Amino acid sequence: MLRWHPTCHNYKDLTKSIQLSTGGIWGEKAKKKKKSPGSGTGWPQVFGGEASVSRSVLGVRAMSPVIRRALPVRTSAARCFPASSRLVLAPPASPRPAGLRDACRPAAGPKAKGPACLTMGPPSREAWAQRLSAFRASPSAFMAGPEGEDLGRDLLSDLRSEKLNEQTKVSLLALSLEYPAQLWPDAPAAEAAASSLLDTLVLLPPRPSALRKPLLLAATTALVAGGALGPTSGASLRLLPLLLGLASGRDLGRGFGPASEQRPLQATACECLRELESCQPGLLGGCLGLLRGLLGQEGAVGPVQPLSLLLALALRNTLVIQARAGAGLQGLLVAGSSGTGGSPWTWTLAEEGAAHLQPQAPSWLAAEEGECGLAALEPNPEEARELRAAVAQLLDTSYLLAPVAQAQLLWLLGWALRGLRGQLPVLFKTQLVRLLGTAQLTLLHAVLALKAAFGEALFTAQDEDLLLRRLTAAAQHPAVPPPAHLFYLHCLLHFPENCPLGPTGEEAAPLLLGPQLCRGLLPSLLHDPMALLARLHLLCLLCAEDEEKEEKGQGQSPQLYLEDLLAGLRQRAALDGAPRALATLCFQASYLVAHCLAGQPTVMTALTHGLVQLYRDRPVLAPHFVDLLDQVGPELGEPLRVALQQEVVARPGKDEALRWHLQMLAKVADGDAQSGTLSFLQAAAAHCKDWGLQQALLQVCRALLRAGVRGGLADLLQALAWQLEDPDGRDHARLYYVLLAHLATPKLQVALGPSLVAPALASSLVAENQGFVAALMVQEAPAPIQLSVGPRRAEGPIPVLQLQVEVLEPVYSLELRFRVEGQLYAPLGAVHVPCLCPARPARPLLLPLQPRRPAPTRLDVRALYTTLTGLTCHAHLPPLPVTFADLFLPFPQPPEGTELGFFEELWDSCLPKGTESRLWCPLGPEGLEALVSRHLEPFVMVAQPPSSYHIAIRLPPDSRLLLRLEAAQADGVPVALRTDDWAVLPLAGDYLRGLSAAA
Amino acid sequence: MAQRAMWLISHEPGTLLRGTVRFSRRYPTVEKRAKVFNGATYMPIPEDDPFLKALLFELRLLDDDKDFVESRDSCSHINKTSIYGLPVGGEELWPVVAFQKNGMIYACVPLVEQTLSPRPPLISISGISQGFELLFGIQDFLYSGQKNDTELNTKLSQLPDLLLQACPFGTLLDANLQNSLDSINFASVTHPQKQPAWKAGTYKGKPQVSISITEKVKSMQYDKRDVADTWQVDGAVTCKCDLEGIMPNVTISLSLPTNGSPLQDILVHPCVTSLDSAILTSSSIDAMDDSAFSGPYKFPFTPPLESFNLCYYTSQVPVPPILGFYQMKEEEVQLKIAVNLKLHESVKNNFEFCEAHIPFYNRGPITHVEYKVSFGQLEVFREKSLLIWIIGQKFPKSMEIGLSGTVTFGAKGHEKQPFDQICIGGTAYLKLHFRILDYTLTGCYADQHSVQVFASGKPKISTNRKLISSDYYIWNSKAPAPGWVSTTIPCLSDV
Repeated sequence: MLRWHPTCHNYKDLTKSIQLSTGGIWGEKAKKKKKSPGSGTGWPQVFGGEASVSRSVLGVRAMSPVIRRALPVRTSAARCFPASSRLVLAPPASPRPAGLRDACRPAAGPKAKGPACLTMGPPSREAWAQRLSAFRASPSAFMAGPEGEDLGRDLLSDLRSEKLNEQTKVSLLALSLEYPAQLWPDAPAAEAAASSLLDTLVLLPPRPSALRKPLLLAATTALVAGGALGPTSGASLRLLPLLLGLASGRDLGRGFGPASEQRPLQATACECLRELESCQPGLLGGCLGLLRGLLGQEGAVGPVQPLSLLLALALRNTLVIQARAGAGLQGLLVAGSSGTGGSPWTWTLAEEGAAHLQPQAPSWLAAEEGECGLAALEPNPEEARELRAAVAQLLDTSYLLAPVAQAQLLWLLGWALRGLRGQLPVLFKTQLVRLLGTAQLTLLHAVLALKAAFGEALFTAQDEDLLLRRLTAAAQHPAVPPPAHLFYLHCLLHFPENCPLGPTGEEAAPLLLGPQLCRGLLPSLLHDPMALLARLHLLCLLCAEDEEKEEKGQGQSPQLYLEDLLAGLRQRAALDGAPRALATLCFQASYLVAHCLAGQPTVMTALTHGLVQLYRDRPVLAPHFVDLLDQVGPELGEPLRVALQQEVVARPGKDEALRWHLQMLAKVADGDAQSGTLSFLQAAAAHCKDWGLQQALLQVCRALLRAGVRGGLADLLQALAWQLEDPDGRDHARLYYVLLAHLATPKLQVALGPSLVAPALASSLVAENQGFVAALMVQEAPAPIQLSVGPRRAEGPIPVLQLQVEVLEPVYSLELRFRVEGQLYAPLGAVHVPCLCPARPARPLLLPLQPRRPAPTRLDVRALYTTLTGLTCHAHLPPLPVTFADLFLPFPQPPEGTELGFFEELWDSCLPKGTESRLWCPLGPEGLEALVSRHLEPFVMVAQPPSSYHIAIRLPPDSRLLLRLEAAQADGVPVALRTDDWAVLPLAGDYLRGLSAAA
Repeated sequence: MAQRAMWLISHEPGTLLRGTVRFSRRYPTVEKRAKVFNGATYMPIPEDDPFLKALLFELRLLDDDKDFVESRDSCSHINKTSIYGLPVGGEELWPVVAFQKNGMIYACVPLVEQTLSPRPPLISISGISQGFELLFGIQDFLYSGQKNDTELNTKLSQLPDLLLQACPFGTLLDANLQNSLDSINFASVTHPQKQPAWKAGTYKGKPQVSISITEKVKSMQYDKRDVADTWQVDGAVTCKCDLEGIMPNVTISLSLPTNGSPLQDILVHPCVTSLDSAILTSSSIDAMDDSAFSGPYKFPFTPPLESFNLCYYTSQVPVPPILGFYQMKEEEVQLKIAVNLKLHESVKNNFEFCEAHIPFYNRGPITHVEYKVSFGQLEVFREKSLLIWIIGQKFPKSMEIGLSGTVTFGAKGHEKQPFDQICIGGTAYLKLHFRILDYTLTGCYADQHSVQVFASGKPKISTNRKLISSDYYIWNSKAPAPGWVSTTIPCLSDV
């Protein structure tokens, strides 16, 4: 049996073995249908499969169309395996019986595509096109639909259909490249799909085909996305040597297409390997030498870019893994023919690597944390030389790579070697001048990454200055597209400086970015919003720095420029009919300035005045003002609030913008200047004709109520309750008046505050109702209270439970309500506690019990309390058990010397009404004395320690339980017990038997 | 560095969804990594429809901004880059690289190889610049030489195959999609020499090199004592080198005449192999003086197959080519306008065309115009509220021309008349459109004899140059000028 082995290096044999090693889909089906004794992997099963294909094909040809329709599985299987290609590729040494092969032949010819195939043919090109577009419109909906289940299977089988043209098949493969997780959702399905794709690949006829490349990509994608990649996956072990063979440019035989296709396939194989290495870092650790050899080849060479990128990635991953493991490079870099000593791919490294495919430390800040990089590797001189040679080799040919690929190479190498000093970083120097000259975004970004990785080791102060100048130029160059301008501006504010001054991670202008450099980066009204905001931010940072310097007095300060710009923005926002985006931009700019320059009173004053002017010009922007007041700090927020309040109440209160004034006032009104506010509202009330305006008016009243305004407001509310036209408005006004008259200010604030239960909604009515619901009604809440039964008291005329209370948050006016199920006890009174705090231990609470029968029970407990925020809450606590022993009370102590007599009297009095019993009370190692002292001490009437005790227990309301514990033995004591209440007997028995366990 | 997904969306205002996803591509292997890298902060790529809605909302393209919407209009919701966080299904998808150009929205989601909370700075994410480059590449491919929707559709239909070539697993291999298209078409066999990835094949045929220099001049003129006029020239040098051999070397030198203006902020194509430090450091940031490097500017390179931009530059020329003023005053119901334009004597007085466009914003349609021109003729576009003064091929001998007149407007309709957020009240401009062939404002030229080609055969070398106007504004001097709200650029104290 010819089976492929990982160390097999005869790729011609390999090709054959790959195609024949499994039966693909058909093999799977054959396995499921009939488990023949010899059906493992390999030949016998394949032959079983093929033989049945042949037979069925022959059979179908002879059948009537009606019967043919009844055999979908077989025909589709026949469709899957164009027998012609199988025959061409079948090894001559096949042990297949000649007769069977001959029998196949006629079926394999072109005639086989007879009417049978047409009837049962695969979905046509159009059908597939429809199906694919339906899928793409909404993959989840399609997969949930009736067709979803079959899609993955149909796709795989139709890839081998001769009815579909290559273009359609490419589109099928494109789908599998994008949605493997939907088509083959679990690892076994992905594994089977990858196998099937590989089968399809090796079965392609040897002419040029557009399918080879997407098939390789699809098999790789299926394995990775399905999570099937691994040393135990058959498909992985077929794909990897195939890819490595292709990438090495070895001749894989006719099955892999004409020579003209070799070079593109070589590149594709490199890409597939790179993706595998990306998802399984370290997988190709053993191939470094081989890859270096391939890249360094003279003469007919492979494509430089795919090999360079593959080598760079494998190198990066290996370095990272080895450095983390504290291992050296172990000669991995030395060129040598791969795999002579074993498999070229390193699952062990990859397993370590897989553990490292975790969120990594941000590579950006890595310059300081050298221990993650190569610095920890400490290569020996030999290894260092090899490493240097490998890096130099990659960099020397880097100009042959497409710019984006060059950038990737630099990121990878920079990442791998970061934090390193000395000769290695210097290798990059030769590339820098060339890179700095370009306008390519990726290249400049990669240079910045190198800057972050190596800092001073690669960039002197002069270099840093040059880099900043290039970056500044690029951020405004007319030839650079605007989105790239913005990204460069971002890079300027996060520039990885050699000697950063400020805290890392915050946006700041680099030290070397002087005002001269920034001249071209100032914002102007002609910029689009994003550019304006980005440049404005830079300007703010410069203003902040400028403030720290002494005033120069001469020339125009950046603050003045800033103020002019803001004035221009406000002018635009004030324009009647201007789009909302302009207003938004103006407020964003104001926010940015308030955020950056909060400490500069002159700027804040000018901003406040400007904004008030804007409100005067365009009150319709009130929602923006409310939002701004919500977002900014007190430096701008407080003066702006006061100024806006003054601005609004100075209005006559009857203009068109009343709605906005009221909205504004609801935000800014407070206890100050109440007379002005109230007279404005009084004047406005007459103009509030519709419901919306009345609600807006009431919103302001509500805000004033919350602010604690009382005097004049009561009059206003009373007036509104009569005056408003809308009954809803009147009701609200009346309600507010009632609240104002009856609730203390703190409670009022809570009642009208934003709902704690649900986020406030835009509708005043809903928000209001929620506020009331929250504040005036009792809320169901999870209890912040824990209640437990403390030690027994066993004194007094009736049993009293001692309750321990603990709270998780402060609780006020706590009322605990208890209820006993059934009629066993008299109703229990509530327990009141004024205040409980988590930090302060509370005294135990006493709960007197009034049993009607001496029986244990459970108490249902509810708590009613007020929270810190003033809400009244109700909580259901876990039930409290009242045990039999909780009811025990002692008899009054008889005069000294008469105890025994008293006991005997009690003992005798139990009969005949009651009952007597004897039982065995097991004792623990501590003995009888300890047991009695722990549980029965208060009830002992006569004691003769350590072996004899007479115990009398009173059980309210009027029962008794008498115990004689005498002649104790090592493991137990016989107990004679009498009670005057039959019903107590089982409880007493349980209690006594439980004692030793409790001890 | 990789992309998790990408989209092309055509913005269609007025339709139900306001847009259509024209193309999308997802990369499941990258998604697999994202899941691991992002950990608990991972958010899967949404399906096309929810993505479309979220993106259009974020880009303010749903044209429903009548009401204040906090998630969009809040003052703290500030975007300073083309990178967005999109709320989709209650979670936020970040970072989404997106921009709009020519009615098409380009978007992609780069892989972030760490947790997303706290958000790492964009500069530390390698996939960001790659994402931009991918989208720029697609944009170049779709719109280079594209004239109509049919061509656009053809190019869109080529995208899946092209991306299979240029970005098979989400990692971009070449942003030049034309090159990828070429490499699909070139059935190359083995190569005796190392072939650059950016060159799909080799040229066979008559060797020739063509170099074209295009300069654009921008200007802002105010005719005010306290506001400085500005003008700037930026140039692009485009080359097409049809040369045999895999790696032919070419050196092109750009020269300036003695009174030419030095080239600054020079950005070169990545195929340029080395660069003089004087070229690298000549910057518009520095004050101009006589010691500035003034060429020749040598660019040694190995050309790609297709036409490419060898370099871009800017320059500060001493005078604008056309200096003018525009005076507009509101007099009762009409506007009184006066325009004067003067061509500088050093400029070649031979235009391909020259026009002055005088738009009137935020007003009604033009109902009546009375005017007098000293030269050329005036066209009136009433509904568009626009005057076009066609100056023609030459300025008269005096080099100075004038226009004066009065314009009356009808009632302001809401829909048709152009709205402008800058031209408020008296703030108004005229915009010059002109083109001069075989001329550059800097004087920059590529001397045929200085072009060195190291390849077999003597190539035919052709050069051409032109100057075109771009954003050439003359603002009304009788009203406040926009943008340049202040007198001059502020002099910040030295840090």
